Amino acid sequence: MARAIFQRRNLAALALIVVSGLLVLGVATRTHPLSATDIPAHTANLENGKNLYNAGGCISCHAPGPGLTDVSADVPAGGKPFKTPIGILYPPNLTPDPETGLGNWTETDFVNAMQKGISPAGEHLIPAFPYTSYAHMKITDVLDIKAYLGTLAPVKNAATPHDIPLAMVVRRGLGLWKYIGFDETPWTADTTKSESWNRGSYLVNGPGHCNECHTPRTIFMASDNSRKFIGGPHPEGKGTVPSIRSLIERGRYKDVADLVLAFQNGEELGYSHMSSGGMGDVQSNIAKLPEADVKAIAEYVTSLK
Amino acid sequence: MIVIGNVTGTIKFLGENKMSKMFVGMAGALLALSFGASLAMAGGDEAITARKACMKANGAGMGAMVPMIKGEKPYDEAVVKTALETMGKACAAWDTFWPEDSKTSTTQKTHASDAIWKDKEGFAAAGAAAYKAETALAATTDEAGFKAAFAAVGAACGGCHKAFRTSME
Repeated sequence: MARAIFQRRNLAALALIVVSGLLVLGVATRTHPLSATDIPAHTANLENGKNLYNAGGCISCHAPGPGLTDVSADVPAGGKPFKTPIGILYPPNLTPDPETGLGNWTETDFVNAMQKGISPAGEHLIPAFPYTSYAHMKITDVLDIKAYLGTLAPVKNAATPHDIPLAMVVRRGLGLWKYIGFDETPWTADTTKSESWNRGSYLVNGPGHCNECHTPRTIFMASDNSRKFIGGPHPEGKGTVPSIRSLIERGRYKDVADLVLAFQNGEELGYSHMSSGGMGDVQSNIAKLPEADVKAIAEYVTSLK
Repeated sequence: MIVIGNVTGTIKFLGENKMSKMFVGMAGALLALSFGASLAMAGGDEAITARKACMKANGAGMGAMVPMIKGEKPYDEAVVKTALETMGKACAAWDTFWPEDSKTSTTQKTHASDAIWKDKEGFAAAGAAAYKAETALAATTDEAGFKAAFAAVGAACGGCHKAFRTSME
């Protein structure tokens, strides 16, 4: 048997299998970025960009690291360590510093990162950065966020490399993962529902990326949309994130107005469950949104049962 | 009881053997150790129970005051004083609520974050901020003062929960 395997013809077949396997793997794990011609001409709306920046809660992860003592905590200069089960990530600098921030990024670069999960250098980004949700956004909204970020004062702060033990494997493997775990379908409106409900649905499922923590994952680590918003494991490894459906069903918030107050004031009005396990940051970001948007989110969320 | 009976039985049996004194000693030490461990566990569990009662009282107190902030109920100084007094009493032993052995428990849930024991200074500061805000709120005597001082109490609760409580349910 062993001899048969090493016969010349079999060896050739084996080589063919290995080579074609590597080829398939190489093709499957490569990136598919957009090019400049895919980006529509668009006049930036800075106000919209700022709102979506808040809806996305960008500051929660891209907060200045502990070394940046002279940078205000609401400046997305990056570096605050984010501990995940795969390793420690250091979210990068979003200010327009040309060397260490997004100053030299083109619109194409930004859209590729936000909606394709691809860095300007052509690497797959780790989906702790929730491009899996941002992919559903309108491309013009993404461009508005970039325009808003461009108005911030630049801070020089080079990103600390992520501390991931299996970085090489993870990066290439992500290319494969994208085939099963990455749904790029643009968000679509439900015409049977109100305009405000649809606005809420867009904010929750696009920029808000609520799904990333409030929905469990399949064995392939893709969001299990058949069980959407029923809660999931905590991304930092300890405890669980509650089911939105069950909170609504149990009447935690008695109506839309009550949930609006909860989002706007959190614990300052005694809504104690809005604070723990990372939700406190989410709540304080939502509180910065225009009232109509908070109401839209509350309207959508209370309709989930 | 059965286990203890067996252990003493074993000790007696071993006691008849010349080589067994060491074993008796070891068994005794083991017993003492496990007794000590169970005592320590009870201590941690008691702390968890006590701090939960404190938080429950805080929740109830806030629940009594929030409707006055929202305008759902008229301002009532007596309600404010009672709420804060109950909160204060339930949490009086605050400093004893966080022994090292109360990080986790096998008998009850706790949402205390590891950060409490990693960042002792920050945790103490957060607790002090809550105490200060509550004291200031208790000193108010009219509706305007109450409303002005209330947000700081909520913010203190939130500040501590953000950093030191893991997600609920």
